[in-house]
Amino acid sequence: MAKILIPTALRQFTEQSDAVEVSGATVAEALNALTARFPEIKKNLFNDQGKLRSFVNVYVNDEDIRYLDKSDTKLEGSEIVSIVPSIAGGTTAVEEQAPALTNDEIARFSRHLILPEVGMQGQTKLKHAKVAMIGAGGLGAPLGLYLAAAGVGRIGLVDFDVVDVSNLQRQVIHGTSDIGRKKLDSAADRMTDINPNIRIDKFDTGLTSENALEILRDYDIVVDGTDNFPTRYLVNDACVILKKPNVYGSIFRFEGQATVFAYEDGPCYRCLYPEPPPPGLVPSCAEGGVLGILPGVIGVIQATEAVKIILGIGETLKGRLLLYDALGMKFRELKLRRDKDCPVCGDHPTVTKLIDYQQFCGIKPMSNEAPAVSGVIDAIELKQKIDRGDKFVLLDVREPHEYQIARIPGSILIPLGDLPKRLSELDKNADIVAQCKSGGRSQKAVDLLKQNGFQNVRNMTGGITAWSDKVDPSVPKY
Amino acid sequence: MIEIEANPWQTMVLHAERLYPHECCGAMLGHSQGANKIVTEAVPLENAYAGKQHDRYELRPEDLLAADKAARARGLDLIGIFHSHPDCDAYFSETDLKNSCPWYSFVVLSIQNGKFDHANSFLPDLDQTAAEPEEMIWPRS
Repeated sequence: MAKILIPTALRQFTEQSDAVEVSGATVAEALNALTARFPEIKKNLFNDQGKLRSFVNVYVNDEDIRYLDKSDTKLEGSEIVSIVPSIAGGTTAVEEQAPALTNDEIARFSRHLILPEVGMQGQTKLKHAKVAMIGAGGLGAPLGLYLAAAGVGRIGLVDFDVVDVSNLQRQVIHGTSDIGRKKLDSAADRMTDINPNIRIDKFDTGLTSENALEILRDYDIVVDGTDNFPTRYLVNDACVILKKPNVYGSIFRFEGQATVFAYEDGPCYRCLYPEPPPPGLVPSCAEGGVLGILPGVIGVIQATEAVKIILGIGETLKGRLLLYDALGMKFRELKLRRDKDCPVCGDHPTVTKLIDYQQFCGIKPMSNEAPAVSGVIDAIELKQKIDRGDKFVLLDVREPHEYQIARIPGSILIPLGDLPKRLSELDKNADIVAQCKSGGRSQKAVDLLKQNGFQNVRNMTGGITAWSDKVDPSVPKY
Repeated sequence: MIEIEANPWQTMVLHAERLYPHECCGAMLGHSQGANKIVTEAVPLENAYAGKQHDRYELRPEDLLAADKAARARGLDLIGIFHSHPDCDAYFSETDLKNSCPWYSFVVLSIQNGKFDHANSFLPDLDQTAAEPEEMIWPRS
């Protein structure tokens, strides 16, 4: 005889017995014997079709019969059979609303579906997930490719840029034939080609304090693929305000970082960096260079984190800053904690709405027309100056490897970093024009020289890039 | 009617507040006589839901089985299940109902900003189509 333990609530049907001994060679027979003896209990265990109710689990000793032979599980007579309901709940009803996968999708995602951690439930979650991607550049390229391929149902792309030949070394979502096209269009075409079932929302704009909340509100997860500080702080603050996880990545030269901010009880970007660095201190990829493969690694890590968050599996990078060094081929990680005094996500936040991030990062607003200030000279004027045979010093402050790529004839090279200790090589009364790649570093050189008593120093606006554009197209742009 | 004694009540509230902003869950043990139940012990159980636990919970049947065994061993009955709703009212949601069972009292604790706010108890029907509120007594001090 097997012993069936009776849940409290059902004892009203078993004359208050908390255990009933029944005979039966299988679980089905034992349960039939139970219901034959106590007919009232039947509707508690079986539905109108005679099937076990969905919430009823049967255990033989300590094993769920679903993992044995179900109702046909054999009983020898000394087992203890327990009836245990499955219980769950919550305040949202996600799965109930989710339409099932189509047969095409089942075929497409078969390698996901046979992973128990993904399965039909997980793939359906991916299908109903909404991810916002900020930027369709270096990080956005692998992100867009893999999120589309993984079956993320709706992807919002935010980008205002156009594909340039210098992008192709790393932005593998775009091709040579896309040069001059909007990155949005180029990326969306490629993603739709990979997976035609997804919806792509294109936002042909930069993310701003005015539009960020409106754009990001509709998405579950935000993936930040931008490379400048104002947008990074903007994305961070918007994610904290909207309570959306911010999958962060950044790249520079040969090193990258990734983590997940503003997720659950984890830290945000401002817990790590409360204040932006002074403008110009950290060069952008355009100034400092980047190994083309690097954003591939970091973007794929971000895509992995986004997919894990959607599926609710594994351990995310929340609270861990992953550091990747391509040259040493090393991964390290730093622990991050939420700062209870953080101005955005702390216990008493002082930043509760979006601010002016250009100003926060110390960047002056760009005007369309060059300011009419003395102390600058543009490419055309420089050409005229050279042609007139003026006696002056053209000071190139770029790095030696840049000087090897292209130079303006007659220039002398003193990299910006070396300038303070090489001031003596320059004549304080000389007519000096400082020049770099696009005008940023040379402005710093001008400031430095002026502070050191140089009287007649001007910055060449637009740098050697403008020289190539306006004066000599045979000088390569890089 | 379900009455919860001070000790188990404290256990339930502490468990719910500690797991905030996640949903918590657990079992309530005690005695019942017809529709009158008294909870003398509360057993916090692990929320086994595999996704974000802000708004979902799942009880492992094995854990429930163990709680039931432990109750029987001490002459108690498993009479109810409790779970929390972080930053949300203590109502019986569609998801709660669909994944419930008619054999137990379901106590929902509303935790607002990390602190207990209010609670309700529900009795789901056999087909999980409706749940009726159950009168609940708990130490108010």
